[in-house]
Amino acid sequence: MIKTCDVAIIGAGPAGANAGIMAASQGCHTIIIDEQAMPGGQIWRAKSEAIKSAPMTPEIIDGDKLRVSIAESNLTHIANAKVWQIERELDEWVLHFIINGRSEKIGAKVLILATGAREYVQPTPGWTLPGVIGLAGATALMKRDLLTPGKRTVVSGTGPLVFFVASEIRRLGGEVAAIVTPNSRADWLRALPSMSYRTDLLRRGFVWVADLLLAGIPIFWRHAIKQIDGETKVHSVKVSKVSSDWSPKGPARLIEADSVCTGHGLQAASDASQLLGIDVKYQLELGGWVPEVEEDGITKINGLFICGDGAGIRGAAAAEIQGKLAGLSAAKSIRPEVNSSNSTLLNSYRRASRFGMAMTRLSIPRKGFQKLITQETIVCRCESLRRCDIENEIETGAATTNAVKSGSRAGMGPCGGKYCQSTIAKIIADRENQSEEKIAPPTPRPPLRPVSASALSGEFEYTDLQIPKPAPL
Amino acid sequence: MIRLIPNSANQIKRAEEICFKFDDQLIKAHKGETILVALMKNGIHHLRDAPTDGKPRGAFCCMGLCQECVVAVGGKLVESCETIATDGLIVQSLRH
Amino acid sequence: MTKTYDLAIVGGGIMGCSTALRLAEDGMKTIVLDQGDLGQGASGVNAGTLSLQIKRVKLMPYALKGHSEWEAMGEAVGFKKTGGFTLAFTEHEAELLYERQALKADAGAPITFVSNNALRAAEQNLSHKVLAASYCPEDGYANSSLTGQYYRIRLKENEVQFREKCNVKLITRNSSGFNLTTSCGTVHATRLLLAAGAWLKPIAADLGVDLPVRARVNTVSVTERMPPLISSIVGHATGLLTMKQKSNGAILIGGGWQGQGVPQDGRGNVTAKTLIPNLSLAQHVLPELSNARVTRSWVGFEANVPDFYPLAGALPGIENAFVLGCVRGGYTIGPYMGRLMGDYILGQEPELPLFDPGREFSEV
Repeated sequence: MIKTCDVAIIGAGPAGANAGIMAASQGCHTIIIDEQAMPGGQIWRAKSEAIKSAPMTPEIIDGDKLRVSIAESNLTHIANAKVWQIERELDEWVLHFIINGRSEKIGAKVLILATGAREYVQPTPGWTLPGVIGLAGATALMKRDLLTPGKRTVVSGTGPLVFFVASEIRRLGGEVAAIVTPNSRADWLRALPSMSYRTDLLRRGFVWVADLLLAGIPIFWRHAIKQIDGETKVHSVKVSKVSSDWSPKGPARLIEADSVCTGHGLQAASDASQLLGIDVKYQLELGGWVPEVEEDGITKINGLFICGDGAGIRGAAAAEIQGKLAGLSAAKSIRPEVNSSNSTLLNSYRRASRFGMAMTRLSIPRKGFQKLITQETIVCRCESLRRCDIENEIETGAATTNAVKSGSRAGMGPCGGKYCQSTIAKIIADRENQSEEKIAPPTPRPPLRPVSASALSGEFEYTDLQIPKPAPL
Repeated sequence: MIRLIPNSANQIKRAEEICFKFDDQLIKAHKGETILVALMKNGIHHLRDAPTDGKPRGAFCCMGLCQECVVAVGGKLVESCETIATDGLIVQSLRH
Repeated sequence: MTKTYDLAIVGGGIMGCSTALRLAEDGMKTIVLDQGDLGQGASGVNAGTLSLQIKRVKLMPYALKGHSEWEAMGEAVGFKKTGGFTLAFTEHEAELLYERQALKADAGAPITFVSNNALRAAEQNLSHKVLAASYCPEDGYANSSLTGQYYRIRLKENEVQFREKCNVKLITRNSSGFNLTTSCGTVHATRLLLAAGAWLKPIAADLGVDLPVRARVNTVSVTERMPPLISSIVGHATGLLTMKQKSNGAILIGGGWQGQGVPQDGRGNVTAKTLIPNLSLAQHVLPELSNARVTRSWVGFEANVPDFYPLAGALPGIENAFVLGCVRGGYTIGPYMGRLMGDYILGQEPELPLFDPGREFSEV
């Protein structure tokens, strides 16, 4: 018998958790499904069970607050569950998910997608070497496992995350070899006014940078990694200056390191939204392609709401508030007596968004940056396809991401294109002399995560399989 | 040297140790840790060879998306970044 | 002065493109229009199975010709002749297998029945619960993902014009032929071929012709790379499973389990209700598959008419308009049907008869 609730939420980060708490507080039977063992999302990721005690951090404090709120609410939290497919059956959403090696499902009158962000990492020669991880991946390792990415790490990329990662490496006893960022100090100065919204983060940012400077750790502003070298593991990194459009220029400088963290901003994880038929539009200031959704989470599909970074990268503070707004909208769609108009929330959402969007603006790669992707650089990691393979495919006439995917296999591997589709779109745009907003992302396909065939089928008897009648002879 | 960000590594208390096998190597891990974390702590980053060009690969996204860190457990491929290491577990790399 | 084409083809799948290539041989000026990318509909998302064992008896002569077409296309379309087994697990399925495969063998397919020992010698990883099996050495597969790339290259080589992302919004007739209003301008042509697969019905309706076209929503899934498990293509007596292991190790699973959706909405959906039994059946046939992870599932719209025979010939009541589609086993047979259709449009006698779109359709 399928369990049914009023509101189901996918994702227990700042947006999903707050949406859930809000919907539950309005009397809706609410279930939140999340991949992680504990609520918190990427930003407030909880420590693993292997950590018995450790010093508190602002992320843990905020995350614990959220976890307590969830525990105190009427919310049902399903942990360690991977949603692989979402379907509409009559007036109900059905969520199929893998938990404990089995496929289970729940039904819901209303669905809120709070699937968060994923990181864009621009390919660099050598970025497939063991020891190179995403900036976001580094934060996951450090928050959950208090593990540094290596002994001596080059931290590279755009926006604020490089400084957070570097300071966490230092806090956990690792060595930061250098920070390499194509942003300039002037970029940051320009962003300062929008940052006044989060003086707490601003203050922390100053401490991170001051600590690095006091420790004599080089910060290469307006620089980028040109190449990562090593045999079976990183041993050195070549960095070079970039111009104002982030094209590489000048000679390379060698830095020895055993690990690299690299990332170039976040993008809305919109696969689930797209699978359900939500259109995406290109909004550079929100990280690229984002689903069409209102500020209060309402979409064109009845009973479907989207909130948080999955609706466009506005950061955790905005995600929390939009989660509440979407929770209210969802509750109202079930219980019309709920008052969902809340101008205070809406105003604070807009203020928080301005901060988040300023950070996104700093993080977005500029036009010249993709010149760092040489012809031999792997673009699609799953299928080991290089930039030249992608360009050869475009040369045959493939002018869309779907056509390039079909012809070259780029994006057909196990990651489902999550780590190459944006780069491929950029390469197509470049070759076809089009703007990126003209190059739509490829059609996403289920399952949302790879799923074991045996988990899907479970135990079964052959004679119980409902095999349809054969086709006409 | 003045540190504004103190090194707090020695204030971390981890759970008791367990042991699992990675290819032919015995790996010590703290109970509750993922396979990936235990391997990285033991200096093992090279988890598989890419299927087409045979080049070494290791964990990349560390959150269950990129599939770069898959290893084989009981004949099935699992993301090492999301699979908890248990005592006596037998894990195989996808290195050739 | 706008150029007038000898023929405008609506639909850039296998049917449309292969017809265009045949016409190019005789110098006809053709343009192919597709609402998306070439070969991205059923032509590009089907499971790529080339099996005589799942072809309809009456279409067998066409399927045999189709196989030669694919063999000739070769590596460019990922063609592999692997041989194929069809398996039965129950008495009832065995009966079905014997009855159907015997008729197909009579129709010219080199199908034989094989013993369990022979089956096991050839494919040791298949289920040991097989009751009966047939084999066809001509069977194999091609890589349907390469359809678009293949025809793009071939059309260019043959100087056939094509427009992708070009949606035909309206077709009107005038004294000299047809005016096609599209999202990329107006196209004039003296003749018209509708080859829009599952989208045929609304386009023909534009010209006042009611084609009884419906669509099946076939599900296909693929696993991540696996160690070598099977070397032949494998099917099920009911036809509800096709399975092959590609050279990269990925296992492709089809069989026509129905997803949801209609072509008019632009896309269909995979549904757990049919995906799960499809994958369960595959695991029953190949137990090691239980170790695999499915990385992608999708559906494609396969057009058909009530009698499940092709529409191939003149569009009823409209002079100089033609229709080609609804070919069951269309991936296999499509390139050959295109050739026949081309002959017909050129006023030549096709090698094998076409299928009059104006016939009475009886439900099967």
